[in-house]
Amino acid sequence: MLGAYVLLGAVLFVLGLVGFVVRRNLIIMFLCTEMMFQGIIINLVAFGRYPLAGAPSFDGQVFALFLIAVAASEAALALALVVLLFRHRRTLDANALTLLRDE
Amino acid sequence: MAGLLTIILALGAVGLFLALPGGQARAVRAGQIGLAASGVGLLAATLGWLFPWPGANFFAGCALVALFAAVRVITHPRPVYSALYFVLLILAAAALLVQMQAEFLAAALVIVYAGAILVTYVFVIMLAQQARPLVHDIRSHEPLLGCLAGFLLLWSIAVRLFAAPVPPAVPAADLPAAGTVAAVGTSLLTTYVIAMQLAGLLLLAALVGAIAIARRRPLRDPLLEGEE
Amino acid sequence: MIASATFSVLSPAAYATLPFWPLLGAVLAGVLIMLRARPQHAHWPVVLGVALSAALAVTLFVDLGQNAEVTGSTSVTESPSLSGRGQGEGESGDPTAALELGRRASSGFSHTLYGWISLGEKISLQNRQWLSVSFHFDGLTGMMLLFVTVVSLIIVVYSIGYMRDHHGVPERGYERFFAFLGLFVFSMCMLVMAGNFVLLYLGWELVGLCSYLLIGFDYHRPAAAAAAKKAFIVNRIGDFGFAVGIFALYYFLSGCAGPGENPLDYAVVFKYAPHLADADSGFLGMSQATLVSLLLLCGAVGKSAQFPLYVWLPDAMEGPTPVSALIHAATMVTAGIYMVARCTPIFELSAGALDVILTLGVIGAVLTATMALAQYDMKRILAYSTISQLAFMFVGLGCRVPDSAVFHVFTHAWFKALLFLGAGSVMHAMGGVIDVRRFSGLRHVLPWTCGTMWVGCLALAGFPLLAGFWSKDEIVHAAFERHVVVGVLMLATAGLTAYYTFRMFFLCFHGKPRWPEEAGHPHESPRVMLVPLVLLALGAVLAGYLGVRFAPGRDSFLGLFQPHGFFHSYLGHSTIGHPDHGHGGLGLMYLSGAVAVGGIVLAWVRYGAAPEVDPDRKLLGGLWNLWHAKYYVDELYDDLFVRPLRNFGRLLFATDNRGVDGVLWLITGVPRGLAFALHFMQRGVLKTYALSMVLGLVLLMLLWSWMA
Repeated sequence: MLGAYVLLGAVLFVLGLVGFVVRRNLIIMFLCTEMMFQGIIINLVAFGRYPLAGAPSFDGQVFALFLIAVAASEAALALALVVLLFRHRRTLDANALTLLRDE
Repeated sequence: MAGLLTIILALGAVGLFLALPGGQARAVRAGQIGLAASGVGLLAATLGWLFPWPGANFFAGCALVALFAAVRVITHPRPVYSALYFVLLILAAAALLVQMQAEFLAAALVIVYAGAILVTYVFVIMLAQQARPLVHDIRSHEPLLGCLAGFLLLWSIAVRLFAAPVPPAVPAADLPAAGTVAAVGTSLLTTYVIAMQLAGLLLLAALVGAIAIARRRPLRDPLLEGEE
Repeated sequence: MIASATFSVLSPAAYATLPFWPLLGAVLAGVLIMLRARPQHAHWPVVLGVALSAALAVTLFVDLGQNAEVTGSTSVTESPSLSGRGQGEGESGDPTAALELGRRASSGFSHTLYGWISLGEKISLQNRQWLSVSFHFDGLTGMMLLFVTVVSLIIVVYSIGYMRDHHGVPERGYERFFAFLGLFVFSMCMLVMAGNFVLLYLGWELVGLCSYLLIGFDYHRPAAAAAAKKAFIVNRIGDFGFAVGIFALYYFLSGCAGPGENPLDYAVVFKYAPHLADADSGFLGMSQATLVSLLLLCGAVGKSAQFPLYVWLPDAMEGPTPVSALIHAATMVTAGIYMVARCTPIFELSAGALDVILTLGVIGAVLTATMALAQYDMKRILAYSTISQLAFMFVGLGCRVPDSAVFHVFTHAWFKALLFLGAGSVMHAMGGVIDVRRFSGLRHVLPWTCGTMWVGCLALAGFPLLAGFWSKDEIVHAAFERHVVVGVLMLATAGLTAYYTFRMFFLCFHGKPRWPEEAGHPHESPRVMLVPLVLLALGAVLAGYLGVRFAPGRDSFLGLFQPHGFFHSYLGHSTIGHPDHGHGGLGLMYLSGAVAVGGIVLAWVRYGAAPEVDPDRKLLGGLWNLWHAKYYVDELYDDLFVRPLRNFGRLLFATDNRGVDGVLWLITGVPRGLAFALHFMQRGVLKTYALSMVLGLVLLMLLWSWMA
């Protein structure tokens, strides 16, 4: 049971990772980070529910709650930045942001 | 077992690679999406029926929905549909949480994600959305390498996961207190009270920061303007 | 070990503050510079500081004089074990000589300010050797301090007038000048008062630094900057030998010194100096005393501008004239003589080293006296005369009469300062022109300058009854005692000195009045410059009488004055002791007086009318040209040392620039090439960075899987 949940969480995480690397739209990139959060939330709750040793506890759920808080903060800030960036550049293409380029 | 998983993961990876937006014709895309869907379906079925346990059917169904939604989030060329598929993903994940007797968390997930975060996303998408799909929505960045990396990562995780010593097959005990809002709340407000305060502080800071950033007038940065 | 001080006027601690007042004045003047205050009054802190030092020095001089009898009689009991020292005076093994040496070694006393450097825990913590900042007080110190501070004070006062234009407006850098002067006096006092060799070296280097700063005072003029560099570098050559000498001293004596005795303290060094006499140094078969003496001598040759390192002194004329006066009279060049006199207990152990000193002295005296005959630059003539007189002092040192040498230092300080300040007064009036061919007959416009210069020239020429006569006569006498050839050469040099001094004087002040157009309407210098001149002229007349005894009842006139008076007995209470002067006849006094007068008369005959055409030049022709070109010594040094060294430096520079840097370029080329090969990765595309992070993560995971 635990294995199934953990593997599902891993698949969600990796799909988010691939999406983050592959998609060029900034909004979708941030959506992908949220997806990675989902994978981790499922993992945390599963570890809490089916612990390798000892009795089940609520710690995993509490961690997940904190994770949701962090995700909410991250989404708020990231979207604010995206809006600001869009106002400047009139585009959401991540490949257009090449200010770090040397020369 | 590992061989079967490898095949399934490879199938899914190829399907994902084909399904990623790359400017293909509509018919081809449909087939590719089907391939990817079959990959994730097989994966979900394997996961569900890998071990015989009472909730296997329910889990497999939810996992199928969640994985399909996840694939569509990263393959759909239009952001607003991606956001909608993400709502679907949240709902499937919430169902899985319910299966794990985390009802409060499931509710919180739906309310916070589907109700708050996603609405924000949709607002931003509306603000920034162009009339027709742009090049950065219909072209992917290094899809082959990305899919390969994802496949290898997942494959190594899966192999490790199944190579690990199987935990003693204790029957899944019920959580001490069912209907767990009170239990979670107690834990949250006793053991983790400081962490909760910190989380509140973090949210406040994010709120202030987001307002400060969003209120800022566009900079007159010559470097930025010169790049237009 | 330290004899208890019985000062009657002030405490030793009060005397120990002596060198620091000029330093304080210099610092205050420096603060004035930083405050950008009006420079008109910048001289006050330095003048007051030097004046306080001078007052302390006079008090110390009197105090030491009273103290000397006490110390001299009591410390005889403290006689170290002396055995097997080979003195060249033929009195080795004589117990009275041993007593005499022991008394000299412990004569005077030292006052320790604070422990400076710990020399390690040789015996135990209690007996740890400390190199301290300690001052040594004895007759030599008192005498040196007396004229160093007083003459410096007069020169500093003179500078107040000299460093202004005709309207009384200070020159650029006025306050800087006075700050350096204060530092200079401080350095010289530290040098003279130092109680160990390291502190002596400190003062020694500080004096060199100050001379560099002051000679290069007009640093925007290339000639001044070059002269400053030359002085510094030439001095450095000598100082290197001096430093090695101190090392050698420490090396040789650290075995002898007892617990708690620092083998660089004067008292310890001179106590154990006899051990150096016979010990082999392991270098060219020299005894340790000879080796140490010769190395120390290197420093003295550089600092006191002796042959062959004298070349910096004439060029040092590029500095302002008061600086020349200070360098030539009170500070700097006297340091070398002082050091050799201070180290008499070491030098007299080595007949060879004394012969070297004597030889260098004779060569330098004759060589530079002849050079001075054919110069036109007033300050340069005086500079060569200084070298010549310093060479006289060296001859005195080489003839085992260091007290006479110090006596000559003492009298020379007064009249040489007077001559330089007089030359400065002339220069001031002539608008900076110093070439004696371009003016004459100045006695009509500069009566006070002319009168004081006349006194100074007489004193330098060794005219009877003036300061220079008494001291020079002692040295000539000692030279005759040593060898008749040396004596004759010295006498001839004295005659040349009289001749070229008055050649300059007549060319300058006699003949028909004329001056260059730069002078405008020349007028006498202000009172602040004339009073120092008069004071120095008094010194030039009277200073010599410190060194003679008045002996009424003699039949002839000069016989009224017997040599070796108060000055010598005063110096006897120091490391110099009472050298044997032999028994000079009255005849030599008449002879040297006659030589001086003869030189003056010859100069009057040939140059009395200040002829436009130089008669010597017509008469001597090629020889005169050789003298005028200073024997081409500068050119010789240039060809022998300067240019090869410079070429060598260019070679090294090229090696560094091409060879070493090339290798470095090759080494740095590896990372540079790598960076060039990899810089495509740094295109600033965010997604590439994200992808590489993921790939790295994948690699780690695969590695982990493979290893597990």
